[in-house]
Amino acid sequence: MRARALALRAENVIATAALGGIMLLPLAEIAVRRIVSTGIPGSAPFTLNLTLWVGLLGAAIAAREGKLLTLATGEFLPARISGLAHIIGGSVGAAIAAMFMIGGLSLVLTERAAGDHIALNVPVWVSTLAFPIGFGLIAVRLALRAAPHWRGRAIALVSIVVGAFAALRFELFEGHALLPWVVGIIVAGVLGAPIFSLLGGIAMIAFFTDGSRPIVPLIKAYEELTSPSANLAAIPLFTLTGFLLAEGGASTRLLRALRALFGWAPGGTAVAAATLCAFFTLFTGGSGVTILALGGLLLPALLKEGYRERFAIGLLTASGSLGLLFPLSVPLILYGIVAQNVAIEDLFIGGIVPGVLMLALVAALGIREAIRSGAKRAPFRLSEVAAGLWEAKWEMLLPIVVLWALLGGYATTSESAAIAALYALIVQRFIHRDVPSFKEIVRVAGDCVALVGGVLIILAVAVGLTNYLVNAQVPMQLIEWTQAHIQSKALFLLALNVFLLLVGTVMDIFSAIVVVVPLILPLADAYMIGYVHLGVIFIANLELGYLHPPLGLNLLLASYRFKKPVLEVTWATLPMLGILAAGVLLITYVPLLTEGLLRVMGRL
Amino acid sequence: MSVRKAVAIVLAGVALAAPISLGAAVTLKLATQAPVNSSWHKALLDMGAEWDQKTSGRVKLTVYAGGTQGSEDATIRMMRPGVDQLQANLLMLPGLGHIDDAFNAFGIPFFFESDAEGEYVLQKLTPFLEQRLDAKGFKLLCWGSAGWVQLFSKKPLATLADVKNAKLYTNQGDDRMSQWYKANGFHPVALAAGDIPAQLKLSTGLIDAAPSPPYPALLLQMFRDAKYMLDVRVAPLYGAIVMTNDAWNKIDAADRPAVLAAAKTIEKRLLGEAPKLDADSIATMKSRGLTVTTLDPKAATEFRAAAENFVKTMRGNIVPADAYDAALKERDAYRKTRK
Repeated sequence: MRARALALRAENVIATAALGGIMLLPLAEIAVRRIVSTGIPGSAPFTLNLTLWVGLLGAAIAAREGKLLTLATGEFLPARISGLAHIIGGSVGAAIAAMFMIGGLSLVLTERAAGDHIALNVPVWVSTLAFPIGFGLIAVRLALRAAPHWRGRAIALVSIVVGAFAALRFELFEGHALLPWVVGIIVAGVLGAPIFSLLGGIAMIAFFTDGSRPIVPLIKAYEELTSPSANLAAIPLFTLTGFLLAEGGASTRLLRALRALFGWAPGGTAVAAATLCAFFTLFTGGSGVTILALGGLLLPALLKEGYRERFAIGLLTASGSLGLLFPLSVPLILYGIVAQNVAIEDLFIGGIVPGVLMLALVAALGIREAIRSGAKRAPFRLSEVAAGLWEAKWEMLLPIVVLWALLGGYATTSESAAIAALYALIVQRFIHRDVPSFKEIVRVAGDCVALVGGVLIILAVAVGLTNYLVNAQVPMQLIEWTQAHIQSKALFLLALNVFLLLVGTVMDIFSAIVVVVPLILPLADAYMIGYVHLGVIFIANLELGYLHPPLGLNLLLASYRFKKPVLEVTWATLPMLGILAAGVLLITYVPLLTEGLLRVMGRL
Repeated sequence: MSVRKAVAIVLAGVALAAPISLGAAVTLKLATQAPVNSSWHKALLDMGAEWDQKTSGRVKLTVYAGGTQGSEDATIRMMRPGVDQLQANLLMLPGLGHIDDAFNAFGIPFFFESDAEGEYVLQKLTPFLEQRLDAKGFKLLCWGSAGWVQLFSKKPLATLADVKNAKLYTNQGDDRMSQWYKANGFHPVALAAGDIPAQLKLSTGLIDAAPSPPYPALLLQMFRDAKYMLDVRVAPLYGAIVMTNDAWNKIDAADRPAVLAAAKTIEKRLLGEAPKLDADSIATMKSRGLTVTTLDPKAATEFRAAAENFVKTMRGNIVPADAYDAALKERDAYRKTRK
């Protein structure tokens, strides 16, 4: 048991080291180049390859902790079949992970034979080891978590062998129908197989039916995860920033400052709470970290001032996804990476007005509620404002510093993310000591990579699927079908709203972006919708999906955090859902909200 | 399961999968970064049609143009034995250099002065390069040229100092090239070639200057964002169609001469068209707002002097010594015959 604990800790330490590498290498390169013109040899390609390791090790850690992203449907299966569903989901997930492990092994072997180098004589094959190791660990862990008893686990362990065998004898699939497999894998996904296995399994078997080998989706994954123009390093680094800030007293300090600023006005505390949630969600991507981290602090604060519990719960559940449109938001970055032809900075600027609109709508409800229920107000005191701002100065400076570096053109997106993470680390470790030791840093970094790994592994397998769909001309057919049935742009936008709302209720925002954006982009071209506007519509809709019954993720998390039945939380959130839906429609049909600021700045 | 065992199983799977049919019809998949409907793409389609016709349908070609199969690096991975997803590739110099360093000899800045000179050396070195490719499992079918590399930039560049200050595109996958640039005071940014247009378009893109021949700059609309071209004629950008040896061996021996002949036909076309493509593309882009800056004599001398110093450091580093020396020898031999 001791050896096992040590191995698990080693896994977290390695992942933390890789995360540290992608934070420090780009910054060190900037510093060293001021002294020596050559800088650090290979700093750019090494950073990219370390990101690959963060992704795969993170996914393995997520599998260990049972945190791999799944469709929300798994939560709602009747107890009678949930045990069986778990075994099926786990077995299918493990079998598909085994296929990717075989593909990864053959990538390592062909890279070894080819003998390419990343830089400084470090061979490429060493980096590609991340695939067989990562997917192998995932396969075993999914199998072990498939059931609480060994009979169930045995079934799942056998499925690993079946998956590996299928990958080795891929030619058995050639020329056979794909559809039954797709249906089977989707069923397994509904029953709880992880989303990566849903997308990856379809991609893998689709390639097999075309006579392609299991290495092919792995080559695509390696290309995507180490692509310099995508530069995925920003995702783990901004997420780390959020996780570091969520530790300890940062939220208390920020709440004090915000209440000092707004607490005198009717609904001031509600506005402060919503703003604070938006601030945290911005970094963590609305993955529910906000509700989990802040719910315990904000609910009592609101109740103490006389807000009704139902309103308070609704407000906090909705606020959990408010920050997604603001600059530095991780989903906006991911959209920019997937969409390719759009500047992430433009997305940040385009999201500001719509983001403020959504926040203002929730704040308006808060003000109405405060007036109705006669919630207490704190007197405005300049000394308290000054004290509150001073106490929270480091946290408040963070977005300013990062945006200055990014929008001022001093740093790229991933370099700004490295600055943000390093800043948060220094503030939380040495100034406030909220993260008191190296051991604690490893723990926080472990939580961070588990979330990020869950996202990156989906991205890794989804590129294979996208590539297959493009080669099969699916987006072209989609455009033809849509244009034949939907004539006007307005109608298309409405259909898009409904579609994204549905996607948002069953899928988390990261998976939804990775899967849906490549399919929607050509459609947006056909209906002349700007990419920045489309991105904002996308994120705003998915925000709404988090709150939509019956499967919205925030509803489930709030129910868990506040220990209330899902139905009660849903009921409490309905007014928020209504007013935010109005906001989404405004954002959709008034492109100027998104594009106005960009036009003023001459960027569009 | 031990690693050795796992390897054995994978290899067994690979062996089981290899089709043993010889002499039957072969369908070859060819990838290229050349844009869809470009003259290169059309040449490839013509070559495929000729293969089909001359071999009575025994050799068929599917062309994936416009980088739809991924970057040059990724498509080379797709050709490796044990992958066999693609069998042929029209690669430009960076991709060829990825397979074998010797090709980098043709990318040396200011090494050639004219198309005739470049093509002379190209033909002289072909047997040497074919041999090196064969050792890596590839067969060279034919050459092509995309024209002379010029410098496209978002801000006007006139002097060497300007170029050094620019965030300059360099091809990903070869960190030695990045290091070479950095050591000489440039600011290289390694990217996949397919990412150049988007990164130039973005207001805060990763690059603000990219070396490219005029024709791709026109087709990929780079000149809309990089509105300035410094007329420096860095080097001709050669490319070549390569096929995997495995695929070549699957083609019926009787059909091989016809396959090669069709490739040689488009070689003449691709090399011959290049100067006209250069001139026409520059004229078209000028009429659509491109500003062309010619080097003033002082700057030109500065460029050439600097280049001479730079390129010496390429020998034995980026370009293998034997390839460098062979190219130099043939070039000087050509220059002697002209004088």
